Amino acid sequence: MATNALEAIDVSKTYLSRQDQVTALAPISFRIPSGSFVSFVGASGCGKSTILSLVAGLISPTSGELRLFDEPIKRPSPRISYMLQQDCLLDWRTVSENITLGLSFRGQNNTKSASHARYLLGELGLSHTLNQYPSQLSGGMRQRVALVRTLAVQPELLLLDEPFSALDYQNKLHLEELLVNVLQGRKMTALLVTHDLEEAIALSDTILVMGGRPGVLRRIIEVPGEIRKASPLAARSQPAFRSLFNELWKEIETP
Amino acid sequence: MIPRWSRWLARGAQSPIHANYLIQLRLRDFWVIISRIALLILILGGWEWATRSGWLDPFLFGSPSKIVDLFWQMTSTGGLFRDIGITTFETIGGFILGTASGVALASLIWASPFLSRVLDPYLVVLNSMPKVALGPLFIVTIGAGYGSIIAMAIAITIIITTLVIHTAFQNVSPDYHRLARSFGASRRQLFTTIIFPACIPDMIAALKVNVGLAWVGVIVGEFLVAKEGLGYLIIYGFQVFNLNLVMLSLLIIALCATLMYIIVNALEKRLLRHRQLEN
Ligand SMILES: Nc1ncnc2c1ncn2[C@@H]1O[C@H](COP(=O)(O)OP(=O)(O)O)[C@@H](O)[C@H]1O
Ligand SMILES: [Mg+2]
Repeated sequence: MATNALEAIDVSKTYLSRQDQVTALAPISFRIPSGSFVSFVGASGCGKSTILSLVAGLISPTSGELRLFDEPIKRPSPRISYMLQQDCLLDWRTVSENITLGLSFRGQNNTKSASHARYLLGELGLSHTLNQYPSQLSGGMRQRVALVRTLAVQPELLLLDEPFSALDYQNKLHLEELLVNVLQGRKMTALLVTHDLEEAIALSDTILVMGGRPGVLRRIIEVPGEIRKASPLAARSQPAFRSLFNELWKEIETP
Repeated sequence: MIPRWSRWLARGAQSPIHANYLIQLRLRDFWVIISRIALLILILGGWEWATRSGWLDPFLFGSPSKIVDLFWQMTSTGGLFRDIGITTFETIGGFILGTASGVALASLIWASPFLSRVLDPYLVVLNSMPKVALGPLFIVTIGAGYGSIIAMAIAITIIITTLVIHTAFQNVSPDYHRLARSFGASRRQLFTTIIFPACIPDMIAALKVNVGLAWVGVIVGEFLVAKEGLGYLIIYGFQVFNLNLVMLSLLIIALCATLMYIIVNALEKRLLRHRQLEN
C-alpha cells in the first residue's frame, strides 16, 4: 500500500518585502511516497530551500496546498525533523545536551528518549563525545551530532537542506554511508536538497530536477535499482552511475 | 651559573631549536617586565626630584613621598579605607545594576518587535544625551546620598547596554530561529534556550565596558553630592589646595578600576571556556 508521505498540489511561493516581491516557486505539484528517499537538485536560487521551509511549516504557501500524511501542513509538525547546512550546535552545551534539544522543545525529553538519542549517537560512532563540548569536535563530527539531534525526535519525514555541503569529500562520503545505515530498517521518508549530483544519485530513489526563476519542476528521474541497492560509495563505481550523472548534468545546465 | 640560567629559560623545550626559541622568547618577556618597572621608577623618581629641586611646584603637583606619607597618615586614622569602600561599593552596585537592567530592557524589547520599533527613537535620543546632566535631577528626587550616585552610574550604563545587547540578540543567526521553530519551539523557548545564552559573551563584554563607565558616573556623582568617597576627596583636596590628596585619590581610583577590570576579565575566561573564539 503506497501511501504518500507528502503531497504538493499547485504550491507556489512569493516572498514579499517592502521593496519588491520575489516569486521563488511557480505552482508546483509532486508526490513523495512513504518510505522513499527523494532529492531535489537544481541551480542555486530555483526554490529548493523554499520547498523545504514550506514542508517544515516555517512559511506558508502563497497558493496551493501541502499535505503531510493526508493532512494539511499549518505549522511545524512533530512528524517532521529538519537539518540545515550549518550544524547550529549550542557551544555552551555538551553533546548530550545538544542532541536532546529538539526533544526538550517538544516536551519529550525523558529518560527513554534521551537514551534513544545516546543510542543513535553510538550508531554514528560518537559515543565517546557524550560529555564533550562542540568546540572540541571536528566539522564532520559536529555535523554528525546535528544529525543525531535531528533523528532523536524520531521523525517520519526527514528534511535535509544541503546537510553535507560544508564538509570535505572524505567526511561527506562517510556521512552519506552513516545516513544510509541509520535510515535502513527505519520507516522514514527523506527529502534531500543538494547541489551535489553525485550525492543525489548515490542516496536517492527518485530525483526531482528543478530549474528556472521562479522555480519549476523539470523532470522526475527514477534511480535504477542497481545503484539504489549499492552503498553510496559502491554506487559511484556502477556503470549506470556515470551516464545518469551526465544526463542530470545536461538537464541542469540547460537554462 | 650560565647553563643553569639557560636551562631554566628553556624549560619545557622539546628539542635544541625549540630550546633556543624559548630562550629568546622568555628573554624578551623578561626585558619587557624590567623595562616596565624601570619606567615606573623613572616617572616616580623624576617627579620626586623635580618637585624637590623646585623644577615643579610641589604645591600644584604634589610629590610621591608626600603622597605616601599622606596614605599612611590617612589609613592610620582609618578614614581612607571607608572612602575606598564606599566608592567601590557604589561602583560595583552601579555597573551590576546598570548591566542587569540594560539586559532586562533589551530582553523586553526583543519580546515585542512592535515595542522595539516604538521605543527605537527614544533610545537613540537617550543614548546621545550626556547622562551626567541628569545628576541634579537625581539629587532632587532621590536625595543627596548613595542612591543618587548609584543612579548616576546606572544612567550612564543602562541605555548603551540595552542597545548593544538588543543588537546582539538580533544578530543570532536566523538558522537558529529556523532550527528552534522547526522543533515547534515557542518564541519564549527560543529566547531562553538559544538567544539569551548565545549572547552571554556580549553581556560580559558590556559588563567590561560598564566597569569603566560606572566609575565615571560614581565619581561625578560624588563630586555633586560631596559627602564622602574618593570623588569627594578629590573635590575636597582641590578646595583646600591639598594636591597630594587629589593625586592619592586618583591613584587609588586607577588601581581599583584596574583590579575590577582584571576580576571581570577572569570571570569572562571562566564563563566562556567552552565557547569557540570565532562567531
Ligand atoms: N526569506 C526570503 N525573502 C525574500 N526572498 C527570498 C527569501 N528566501 C529565498 N528568497 C528568494 O527566493 C529564491 C529561491 O531561494 P531558495 O529557495 O533559497 O533557492 P535554493 O535553495 O534553490 O538556492 C531566490 O531568488 C531567493 O533570493
Ligand atoms: Mg538553498
